Amino acid sequence: MTKRNPISVPDGYFQNLEQRLQQIPAHAAAPARVFRPAPYLAFAASLAVLAVIGNFILRKTAVQEDTQWDYVSYLAQSLDPDGLVELKETEELTEDDIRSYLLASNISVEQINMTLYEEDY
Amino acid sequence: MESPEQVFNNIVKDFSERLYWHVRRMVGSHEDADDLLQDIFLKIWTALPTFRGEAQLYTWVWRIATNETLNYLRKEKVRALLRFASADDLVAQKVAADSYFNGTDAEREVAKAVARLPEKQRQVFIMRWWDELSYEEISAITGTSVGALKASYHIAQEKIKLNLSDSEVSK
Repeated sequence: MTKRNPISVPDGYFQNLEQRLQQIPAHAAAPARVFRPAPYLAFAASLAVLAVIGNFILRKTAVQEDTQWDYVSYLAQSLDPDGLVELKETEELTEDDIRSYLLASNISVEQINMTLYEEDY
Repeated sequence: MESPEQVFNNIVKDFSERLYWHVRRMVGSHEDADDLLQDIFLKIWTALPTFRGEAQLYTWVWRIATNETLNYLRKEKVRALLRFASADDLVAQKVAADSYFNGTDAEREVAKAVARLPEKQRQVFIMRWWDELSYEEISAITGTSVGALKASYHIAQEKIKLNLSDSEVSK
């Protein structure tokens, strides 16, 4: 393969890009200072976080109610294609709910693809 | 001592053009690359206080850029799937339609063949071939071993050849 750059940019793009990017600090919030607690404080804080998470998980598993969010979450994870189409027809859950969930989740594209089109596999 | 704004402006000066070309080759179109680059530099600005100097600034900036790019590509694919559209060949389609492509037909076929590689393989190929980073630099950025990167680059080259011969056959 020979190396020649076949792609280009609009005239003056890079000068303009640099100027636009340098505007970011003025428009974005100032970067937050990083708080570095003392080791014993960090340990205590992590214990507190673990306690809160543990409590949340216990409550979730104990109640087992099909809340709307649970359903979206379940559906998004299992990605039943019929359910997904059905869901799009209901007013309770919007497609945006599912889209937002999936975009923010760690579910792989392959998993989503395979589940959506599982009959093809 | 430099202010955060000065540090950021130096990063923009030193990295914006180089990262643009990397991102452009990863996403396949000028418009997408321009949008994504804004997001990358916003991320760099907000993450600047977390930079501790343990990694080189170069590695840190590239790591943010490559992670954001992979994340962007994942979201594009998920969006396509949720439209019940094919998530395959999304970038190759953008390369095919790119109005700022002024190479030959053969060069466009090569660019499309590269665009059809899986994201991580494409990333390694572009970083090595186009961005001319060493395996050691890519390893520091991606956290992948040099051996695995070499294997990935070799496989990518073979796939590009195969993609090109397939597109020749289908003509």
